[in-house]
Amino acid sequence: MLELRDIYLELGGKSILKKLNMKFDEGKRYTILGNNGTGKSTIANMIIGVEGYTPQKGKIYLNDQDITDLGISQRAMLGITIAFQESVRFDGIKVIDYLTLGGKLKKSMDEMKESLKLVGLNQDYLKRYVDNSLSGGERKRIELASVYMLSPKYVILDEPDSGIDMMSIETINVIISNLRKRGATVITITHREEIALESDYTYLICSGLVLKEGTPADISEYYKAMCDLCDHPNDIQSNDNIQLVSEKGQL
Amino acid sequence: MRISPDYSKEFEKIADAYEKSGGDVSNLIDKRVASIIISGDKILGLNNVDGVEIEAGKQEMGVWAKIKILKGKKILMPIHLCTGYLGDEGEQHINFEFTIEDGASVDFISHCSFPTSKHLTHKMTAIIKIGKNASMTYSDAHFHSENGGVTLISDTHAVVDEGGKYMNSFELTRTRVGKLTVKMDVDLKAGAVADLESKVRGKSDDEISIKESLGLNGKGAHGIAKSKIVATEKTRARIVNEAFGNAPYSKGHIECTEITSGDNVDVATLPVLKVTNDLSELTHEASIGRINSKQLDTIMAKGMTEEEATEFIIKGILN
Repeated sequence: MLELRDIYLELGGKSILKKLNMKFDEGKRYTILGNNGTGKSTIANMIIGVEGYTPQKGKIYLNDQDITDLGISQRAMLGITIAFQESVRFDGIKVIDYLTLGGKLKKSMDEMKESLKLVGLNQDYLKRYVDNSLSGGERKRIELASVYMLSPKYVILDEPDSGIDMMSIETINVIISNLRKRGATVITITHREEIALESDYTYLICSGLVLKEGTPADISEYYKAMCDLCDHPNDIQSNDNIQLVSEKGQL
Repeated sequence: MRISPDYSKEFEKIADAYEKSGGDVSNLIDKRVASIIISGDKILGLNNVDGVEIEAGKQEMGVWAKIKILKGKKILMPIHLCTGYLGDEGEQHINFEFTIEDGASVDFISHCSFPTSKHLTHKMTAIIKIGKNASMTYSDAHFHSENGGVTLISDTHAVVDEGGKYMNSFELTRTRVGKLTVKMDVDLKAGAVADLESKVRGKSDDEISIKESLGLNGKGAHGIAKSKIVATEKTRARIVNEAFGNAPYSKGHIECTEITSGDNVDVATLPVLKVTNDLSELTHEASIGRINSKQLDTIMAKGMTEEEATEFIIKGILN
């Protein structure tokens, strides 16, 4: 189990995450739902161990092992990885090398083709470069294929549908389903409640707090009713109210 | 190609260095491939094929060579140039003169290997004349000793006549650099095209100085000059890319990317654009800095250490 216990995180002197508690059981599918700017990607960066995102208070545990002070590589070696929201370009690196990390991952050609097929790309892409000759959407698909190749234990998909032309929620669900078949716990970050509906459990984030958590149906309904219209997701003055709401679990 | 029996042992050593540096020795001895093999001030071998005339001789501390591609000839197999120096110290001067006659086309693959030199100065000058509608590509890969004792001074002047094409790539990425000074200027006539690219990776206290200059002197001339430098540890690098738009409808682009790694690097780039004809168009891009942190995070999140990820990304940049 991956667990965040009583997390407080400040960035640049500003409080971003407050008393955050989350649990992710093995093999399940979770959604972290929330409007833009509510702290979802910050949670992702903190979970994977990006430099500068170590919480000032609280701990992160993987199977009861404290991993709070481990770096991004060390956590990846424990099986925690991510497909970032924005897939960066890598000049001079071919897709085939990207998928195998320059040969570090011993993978067969069939496995590479399978991973590309899963994200809707054909094997011709293996010879292409992960640079600006690919569209942002194509790079995103390559990133998802790369994550699939890693067979992770915990994977965060940060806004997997953003920037992907024509990739439907069904396709994303197929990718997630295949990741789970490989034993992965999948944590999807999104602002779309219809993606949350497919998960086992959903956390609703607002202003760096878990505003509500529970079944996807309940949370999605609440989100649709309350958050779609909300115009103060990061309003500092409303934080006290949100804190109160968070504690009570209702408005 | 016949290797003189007097030079057979030296050829073996040069061939060994050539192979270690990525060259294919079979090309050097293939009669169908034009080539020249130079070691120190000796010409170990020279082979001509139809359409190619290579003349060479000794000169003080080195070798001169004149390479001519005859009018209209399309040389299908690349010409191989192998230059080496096997001694620990010394000086080597190489003077090349390339003449690509009108309508001819040719590719050159050059390997320069100085595998053990502790104190070597290698000076190379090249005068290149590319005729009307002729084409020349020149791929130059260098392999220096790991003790940093090689000083390389390269000076190239190319004139590309109407409709001609000149593609040049210089690469020194697999070994220490030592001290490198590269100067290249290209004079482009009407409709001529040039594409220059330099890739160098410095470490320890290597010194890198590159100056590439595009003279867009003919109507509709096009040129690109790109430099990619990776500077680590105490490397010092100075890169100057210049483009001069002197003719209508000429276009030039210069680009310098310098990746730094380490607190003691000292790098600078200076783009120079000058237009004397208002119908000319020049652009430039330049960047200096560490590897993008988002790139590093992306690769490290796949299980590579920071060092492995850095190496992986740098190899791509220099690919």
